[in-house]
Amino acid sequence: MMKKILSLMAVAAVSAMALFANGNSEQVSSYKLGFIGPLTGDYANYGVLCNNAVQLAAEKFNAAGGINGVPVEIIAEDSEGNNEKALSAIEKLSSSDKILGLLGPVFTGSTFAVGERCQNEQIVLITPSATHADITKIGDYIFRTVVSDGLQGEVAGYYFHDYLGYKKLAVLYAKNDYSQGLYKSMSATFEKLGGEIIAAESCQVGDKDFKTQLTKIKAKNPDAIYIPDYTVEMAQILEQASQLGITAPFLSCDGFSNPEIYNLAGNFTDGVIYVGPAKVEASDAYTKFVEEYNAKYNVKPDSFATNAYDAANIMMEALKDCVADASFAKDSLAKKRIALRDGVAATKDFLGVSGTVNFASNGDLVAYQGIYKVNGTTPEYLGAYSVQDGKLVKVSE
Amino acid sequence: MIIRSPIVVSLSEFFQHLMNGLTLGGIYALIALGYTMVYGILKFINFAHGDIMMVGAYIGLFTFTFLRGNAPLGAWTFIAFLLAMIVSMVATGILGMIVEKVAYRPLRRASRLAPLLSAIGVSFILSNSAAWLWGTQSRKLDYPFNNAPYNIKGVVITPHQIMILVMSLTVMICLKLFVDNSRSGKAMRATSLDQDTARLMGINVDKVIGMTFAIGSALAACGGMLIALDYKCYPSMGMMLGLKAFVAAVVGGIGNIGGAMLGGILLGVLETFGVAVFGIPEAMKDTISFVILIIVLLVKPEGLLGKATREKV
Repeated sequence: MMKKILSLMAVAAVSAMALFANGNSEQVSSYKLGFIGPLTGDYANYGVLCNNAVQLAAEKFNAAGGINGVPVEIIAEDSEGNNEKALSAIEKLSSSDKILGLLGPVFTGSTFAVGERCQNEQIVLITPSATHADITKIGDYIFRTVVSDGLQGEVAGYYFHDYLGYKKLAVLYAKNDYSQGLYKSMSATFEKLGGEIIAAESCQVGDKDFKTQLTKIKAKNPDAIYIPDYTVEMAQILEQASQLGITAPFLSCDGFSNPEIYNLAGNFTDGVIYVGPAKVEASDAYTKFVEEYNAKYNVKPDSFATNAYDAANIMMEALKDCVADASFAKDSLAKKRIALRDGVAATKDFLGVSGTVNFASNGDLVAYQGIYKVNGTTPEYLGAYSVQDGKLVKVSE
Repeated sequence: MIIRSPIVVSLSEFFQHLMNGLTLGGIYALIALGYTMVYGILKFINFAHGDIMMVGAYIGLFTFTFLRGNAPLGAWTFIAFLLAMIVSMVATGILGMIVEKVAYRPLRRASRLAPLLSAIGVSFILSNSAAWLWGTQSRKLDYPFNNAPYNIKGVVITPHQIMILVMSLTVMICLKLFVDNSRSGKAMRATSLDQDTARLMGINVDKVIGMTFAIGSALAACGGMLIALDYKCYPSMGMMLGLKAFVAAVVGGIGNIGGAMLGGILLGVLETFGVAVFGIPEAMKDTISFVILIIVLLVKPEGLLGKATREKV
């Protein structure tokens, strides 16, 4: 038995060597990129939508000639949305498929795990959907085509300080990742600019009574009160603040863009200023993408699928540029991967279906946040803003 | 965990916290009355009480919305609200009796544990059914009056808060008078002392117990509507409020009507003050009630106003 296995292994080794020997002399038959996402299981929906987009992008890219006639092949691996599966997927993609770059993983958790591995092995990664502020801190091989959670707080901090002229803010946030993350990134920016957080009160998720915190805040007399929270809680806060006779203006986050707030607290929303999603101009490219996607998969793409489509195209364009360099073909796999990373990093003003894509130096998407001011119960769009080189910039439309 | 030093507060801020605490306590007290009544009669904790309150709030919400139509604030909206409250109290009272008959009565002679578990079961059935039937989103119950706050020297109080305080006090006094003086009240007390003897004396024990559940549940509906005005209606609203009210009843001396009131108010005030004045971290707010519960159980197990009962030999 043992002998049999050994001889089998020997045969395998020899044939593998033969393959390698051929690999050098033969023309490359395809350029391989990887995709990791949940394709089965409870979260399959997210991964399947993204994988569809990536495959569609490759199909169109190849139909248009690929890279000098050589097609790009995207190898999709299923993570089922869990980190162990995602790690074994990158293991396979990296060592046996020898991919040049990776698209995905879809979830923040898997992206932390897989990103670490990609960083160490110097494989460029673009995630279409991992929003956690720290994702791009993994290293310089990690990029994303989705807005970082941190951006919203940053834009908020600049806007409150520079545009609204507030010096002393009070914050009432909930103890969860979302609310706390916004509070932290807003106040870091706000304080960096010279503003002061004079009261930072917290609540538990599911609390209904905020009078204690609001009474404390009222006593501090802030210029305005920032309440990054969920819709129902914010409705409750606004109403109770009015009951306590608080007249300071309220500032809020994307949770406020849910129209339910006006059903719950319509009498108290006048004058609230919030940072929310920027309005995307419906471009022809986007409309065409949705049509093609829908025709092929009989389902409409979500925003992550749109981001995945852009990510795939960015990577394929970068690869095309790499191949144009004559020395690329002779490079080792490791060198090819590094070249592709540099190509992705050099992306500038990429016209994607989600709009113009640029990467910040840390790999984050240079994105915009919208600012809204509520007039009665109607949010008024004040424009799109972004942070560039430590300054808040209003984006012209 | 960082324990902050006591916070120096201005006089008006102090009274504002006191006011907030009193009204929060008033809410606890209103629901605690239901726990205390049932316990007083049956020596049994109706853990579904909070969820019965939730059902009452929903029934009140739907009735009020229906009756009010598009009417602007005015006398009619207030009358519509009171009518809705009556409808809700009757409906919830009947629900209470049904729950008692179906889930508790058959277990009355079973071990102490059986009806308790049955009550927890009822609690889940009610809150899950509500979520299934009405959805999990919060629904707003409109104030039937102008709830603009009054400002008294920097201390703010709303008509709704006054209503809660007045209502819980009135309910408590009425209940006390009813139990102490009426014929049915006497029957209740007799049942509470000894069910078998009461039965021998010609008291219809089943009827008395049914009535207790009906009254307790109707009070819960009334409390539920008052709470929904402030906190909105949602399927899980009975859980934490119910638990707090239960703690209030035990702290005050379970089975004692005045005790439920005292316990509720005490809890509300201490919870507010604990965070605002004594510097207990906000994250620990909900634990304050339970720490108080443990202290009371250790020092005076029968509760603040409860009487120690000797085991009959």
